[in-house]
Amino acid sequence: MKSVKMKGKNVDEAVDSALKVLGLTTEQVDVKVINEGKSGMLGMFGGEEAEVEVMEKLSREDLVKTFLADILDKMGYVAMVKVLGNEGDRILLEVKGEDIARIIGKDGATLDALQTLVGTMASRTVKERVRVSIDAEGYRQRRKSAIERLAQETINDVERLGIEKMLPPMSPADRRTVHMLLQNHPKLGSFSVGERANRRVVITLAEKVPKDAKKK
Amino acid sequence: MKELVEYIVKALVDTPDEVNVAQTEGESVTILEIRVAQDDIGKVIGREGRIANAIRTITKAAAAKNKRRVTVEILTQGEEARKPKTEGG
Repeated sequence: MKSVKMKGKNVDEAVDSALKVLGLTTEQVDVKVINEGKSGMLGMFGGEEAEVEVMEKLSREDLVKTFLADILDKMGYVAMVKVLGNEGDRILLEVKGEDIARIIGKDGATLDALQTLVGTMASRTVKERVRVSIDAEGYRQRRKSAIERLAQETINDVERLGIEKMLPPMSPADRRTVHMLLQNHPKLGSFSVGERANRRVVITLAEKVPKDAKKK
Repeated sequence: MKELVEYIVKALVDTPDEVNVAQTEGESVTILEIRVAQDDIGKVIGREGRIANAIRTITKAAAAKNKRRVTVEILTQGEEARKPKTEGG
């Protein structure tokens, strides 16, 4: 990140000369005023120069990458973070390294926590919602396939026996995978019951899905 | 551990200068006391404790590397940590 400290007659002039040095425009930087400066008598005596620090704004991609890499480093893990690109308004990050199993955690719990924190830290920093999706060694895709297989077995049971079946408690992302799978099913539907860590998906006949049921 | 928590919490609050993390080492447990400005406490806890839980999960994962357990308390500046109840106290 490029940054420079600069003095000037007043804050505006100090910022202007800093921008010239950095070769950036006002929109591309954050300004921190170190000293507002004072104009002296007749603008000549006893005045104090203004001082500012002008820093280049990080792109959102670089910001979330830095947050994640720093957290993993401070956790004592040897890992590399790569920005894979964007999917809608989500920034996709991928972690590679030695401690992948621990970074993923049980049922992806650590990965989910990292995602929550990095997303929130970035949102608070830029004062706008930033969404991130963090994967490690293709875990998210593998998890999605595993959940789809489990859901498919349950769908088969529900179709064959005509009874309602409940899946084990799952994270919001896993529940979304199940709901998506059932979205276009001709006869069956799904909805969620329970709170927080105990929230689980029910698969049943489409007409038995409560009208006011929330999918999430 | 303290550095990890400080780094995360400072990026979450409005007043990073008032973030204070104290780390106490027990035999097998590490206790982390996070203190933030009154107005920032909700930002560290999050809706339904979502952020506090994420911080706990991360510290747990970091501590597990050294086979240690960890507890995290989030308090405001000047607030005393909850003491275990003592008889006749």
